[in-house]
Amino acid sequence: MNKNRRRQQAHWIREVEDITRGACGGFLFGIPLLYTMEVWWIGSTVSPPLMLLAIATTWTVVFFLNRTEGFRRTTKVSFTNAARDTVEAVVIGLVCTGIMLVILQEVTLQTQLSEALGKVIFESVPFSLGVALSNQFLSSNPEENRVQSSKQNSTAQVEARQPEISETLADIGATLIGAIIIAFSIAPTDEIPMLAAATSAVWLLATVVISLIISYGIVFEANFANKTKRQQQRGLFQSPLSETIMSYLLSLVAAAMMLWFFQQLDFSDPGAMWLSYTLLLGLPATIGGAAGRLAI
Amino acid sequence: MSDVHSSDDGSSQNSSSDQPPRSLAEQVSFSLAALLLTTLVGLICYLWLGKRGEAPPNPILVIKPVQKLSGQFHVPFELTNQGDNTAASVQVVAELRLTDILTETGEQQIDFLSSQETESGAFIFSQDPRKGTLTIRVASYKSP
Repeated sequence: MNKNRRRQQAHWIREVEDITRGACGGFLFGIPLLYTMEVWWIGSTVSPPLMLLAIATTWTVVFFLNRTEGFRRTTKVSFTNAARDTVEAVVIGLVCTGIMLVILQEVTLQTQLSEALGKVIFESVPFSLGVALSNQFLSSNPEENRVQSSKQNSTAQVEARQPEISETLADIGATLIGAIIIAFSIAPTDEIPMLAAATSAVWLLATVVISLIISYGIVFEANFANKTKRQQQRGLFQSPLSETIMSYLLSLVAAAMMLWFFQQLDFSDPGAMWLSYTLLLGLPATIGGAAGRLAI
Repeated sequence: MSDVHSSDDGSSQNSSSDQPPRSLAEQVSFSLAALLLTTLVGLICYLWLGKRGEAPPNPILVIKPVQKLSGQFHVPFELTNQGDNTAASVQVVAELRLTDILTETGEQQIDFLSSQETESGAFIFSQDPRKGTLTIRVASYKSP
């Protein structure tokens, strides 16, 4: 009885991990397109038959990806299982996109149903592809991870007395590089001022919360490569919570600098403008920063 | 080793008949996903089949009372598309004539206006529009 319950519990944990991994892959792949106003416009005017075509096309592409990779830890899956996983991948993409469009206030209570559906469906295409590719991104065999981490443990014991400054610097560097790779191409565009114009304090707070959740999810929950290694990381980024917050703050600094570099912000602009622009660009920057820390 | 369809050891089989049944967790998440996707497709079909007609965009302008703010005169307006199709680049122009002389003009462009969607904005004048003739009208739109 107890064994059965434990097995059920393990299945649920595994399922949540699989879905989290898929969602994080979606965010890594889909976030740049979310900050592209042309896609909002296409979504605003697209007709229902084209929406159905977009869903069918995405489903087909994701299905073929799921036959080889997918968001679950498996190497080969049957036709039926791949088809079922594809339904889930497409829905994970749609739900994540919907949440992001609401937080960015591109979909509100005033938005017409056809416009909201068009935006969500077209923006969800790269999200769903990202879900299907999530095992491919930065993923590694858990067994390899265990071997790697035990090796690292022994090295860490030898080097226990060595200064932790180098690990902290490596984390800072990785966060900044990742943040720049993802956010640099978004910083000079008009999307940030447009989103800032539509947002309010409540939605900016929601942006901060979702940025922290996605960053934490990618590094500590998605079971990507080096997860165990990250949990044993020393230096200033010593615990998952402090790492998430520290890297978020770093990503915000990087976002502010990129906006200043591209003259979207200057020192005569009001503080509220600096804050809203930086928090909005901070979201893709944090996702990039999280991916960057996993890559080292 | 897991007995569910996804296994870590890469030994999962290639045919559905060989594969162990899905766990309850997987079945629940698939059912929810299938329900959401069906609802979405249903909503799209509703929009497609339930479309009232093919009437062209029909932007209707409602002008609100003039407000004086910091010495300037704001004329708020609301624009609703009562047609069936979306209008793009909807141009709204305003002209203020005092003693029959064109004194001030303004122009706004709204990127997209879906069927039944309402957008709002305001024109700002330095002189009181109530003392002259104010014309605000939708000048043009294009099909997206």
